[in-house]
Amino acid sequence: MSLMKKLLDLDQRIIYALMFIALAFPILNPVVLPMDIQEYSRVSFEFADSIPAGSVVLIEGGLGAATYPQGGPGLEVQIVHLLGKGVKIVFFSIGTETAAWTVTAIDNALAAMPSGVAAEDGVNWVHLGYVPGGESGVAAFANDIRSVKSEDHYGTPIAQIPLLANINKASDFTAVFWWGGSEGSIPYGIRQIVTPFGVPMTGMCTTNEVPNYTPYINSGQLHGILGGVRGSAEYEYLMDMPGLALGQAMATNFGGLLWAFLVVLGNILYFIARKEEGDN
Amino acid sequence: MSDRLIKMQIPIILTAIIGLIMIIEFFFPMPTAVTNLNVTLRSFVTIVSAAALILGTIVLTIYHGKKVGTKGSEWYYSIVYIIAFVVTAGLGVTNVRDTTFLWIYNNMTSPIGAALYSLTAFYITSAAYRVLRARNWNAAVLLVCALIVLLMLIPIGAILFPPVVPIGTWIRNIPSGAGFRGMIIGTSLGIIGLGVRVFSGRQKEHMGIREERRQE
Amino acid sequence: MDSYLLGLIAGSFVSIGAYSVLIGDNPLSKFTEHLYMGILGGFIFATNWNYVRTNAVNPVLQGNFIYIIAILLSVMLFSRLKTEWLWLSRYPVALTVGAGLGLAIRTTVMSDFLGQITATILPLNSLDNILMVIGTVTSAAYFIFTAQTEGPYKYVNKTGRIFLLAAFGVTYGQTVSFRFELVIGRLVDMLRPEVANYTYLMLLLVALGLGYGYRTKKIKWYKGR
Repeated sequence: MSLMKKLLDLDQRIIYALMFIALAFPILNPVVLPMDIQEYSRVSFEFADSIPAGSVVLIEGGLGAATYPQGGPGLEVQIVHLLGKGVKIVFFSIGTETAAWTVTAIDNALAAMPSGVAAEDGVNWVHLGYVPGGESGVAAFANDIRSVKSEDHYGTPIAQIPLLANINKASDFTAVFWWGGSEGSIPYGIRQIVTPFGVPMTGMCTTNEVPNYTPYINSGQLHGILGGVRGSAEYEYLMDMPGLALGQAMATNFGGLLWAFLVVLGNILYFIARKEEGDN
Repeated sequence: MSDRLIKMQIPIILTAIIGLIMIIEFFFPMPTAVTNLNVTLRSFVTIVSAAALILGTIVLTIYHGKKVGTKGSEWYYSIVYIIAFVVTAGLGVTNVRDTTFLWIYNNMTSPIGAALYSLTAFYITSAAYRVLRARNWNAAVLLVCALIVLLMLIPIGAILFPPVVPIGTWIRNIPSGAGFRGMIIGTSLGIIGLGVRVFSGRQKEHMGIREERRQE
Repeated sequence: MDSYLLGLIAGSFVSIGAYSVLIGDNPLSKFTEHLYMGILGGFIFATNWNYVRTNAVNPVLQGNFIYIIAILLSVMLFSRLKTEWLWLSRYPVALTVGAGLGLAIRTTVMSDFLGQITATILPLNSLDNILMVIGTVTSAAYFIFTAQTEGPYKYVNKTGRIFLLAAFGVTYGQTVSFRFELVIGRLVDMLRPEVANYTYLMLLLVALGLGYGYRTKKIKWYKGR
């Protein structure tokens, strides 16, 4: 069998092994390269930065086990950013898993909070937890929070939470930050909160979903977006709080190059084989 | 009342009434009683949705239970499922904030879920090497856009091939943005069309018609 | 060893079990998958039961009897387990489907339909604007499957397809990056300094175990391409 045929019929487990090495190597031997800030990330950061002190914002925590490594560092930095500016935060989630991971984000953010920043549960922030029903749940929550939640994620009755004394619907919030992860739920926020109530929104999604939301950004319904681990890394960079996301963003280098190399190689071999078949 | 009325027609009519009330409320001022009814209905939806997820887990457990009972193919793995389910559900129902319950979830399910989800990285690379070919102009457009955007996203791509950043950003904003905008418009028309079909009773699959007919 | 480190080690082991499916289905990967399904099923059961208890059962016990209807509808859903009673589940389904569609339709008209059309009304004074208008119109028109692709519409269809292919290409490139990020996220936890040695040891044990299984033909060898 010619070399070209062997390469074209390469056992996929060899490709798996090469990819594993390409992704693991930069984790064991980190290399930091300069990185541009994407326009969508800059717009999203500036949107968060423009929220005045004393405002109350809504954060949808939609990061799960698979997506927390990408978005979690960014969400933690954003919580530090907002609480540090004196902005109050109400969290909720549309998934059981994501509600649990939002707790992780809050705990990590509180641990990294500079001293002197007010960050008391029930006063400066509250996590309302899981709201089932998908888009219907979001609509119910946006129209009347108390119709779907009687207590927060930790079991405290809503009536005993000072932060929620004058908060019961979406229009009571200054802005929405939709950390949708891979839920594909950003349109729920746009349809059920932005459109009916006019509350401005930005968000985070996994890298693969960024093109889906470009029309919403271009039409002004979404104020920028943080895309995947790169978006989180850019937020860390803009906040001058380098962390896990930056290292992970750097680790995509070798995997991406390997993928590009394999695709180009595959096409070159394909065209050579096609030409040889044509000649024969 | 006829059988058909209670079992089929009334649910279809209810679907239409509830859907139309939700729509009309948004566009026209309604009496307070109707608004309150809608708030109540929406909270009922969240409760029923939660119950539906509970039903799903029960159906899966019944499937594995039957497999163990009839000693079906590889039935011993179903025992693993049942033990894991019973232990986790038991801990969680007792106290959903129990530390052991959360430890099991955070350190067992989450890593496996992340790992399973990430398997596609390997499959996508293998498939790209074997199948992603510029066989014609259409395929070439897809391939070139994919390559440019990936190189734009990885930090080293901008260093090795600086033009990919402005080109990739432009492709993502303009041609791709236009394509997705067309898809969003098409999808919204599809949702409206689906609503009309469901509310008028022309589409009844969500009522479980096929399952009923399969058993008859 | 504290519970945090123990958790990382346990997570590393089950991740290796999940990744072992790459060399073919084997007892370890199947065990891991069933373990995952069981724990996740239990988690979903417990958290949703907690929601129903808190938001339906407790209000009834406190005198808010309207929620009896919600509990009744939830119980009716379980009639799907028996085909003769399946018709009872149509009532809660009617509620969720009707409300869900109504809520989606009422806002999709404004945000997805009118919002996107409004954003497409651009002055044709730059190449970007011209391409955006042409691309939006032709890619939306591509989905009219009831029209024959002949005459001028053939060119509308072809142009729309190019824009859609550009969109799919961009999505593909972004998806590739996303999948890599998923693996990296897992590897970061598995290769932490305090956990790395345990990861290597477990990899070695799994490799030895699977190798023994394949050599003695106790596990079927997977012929990859």
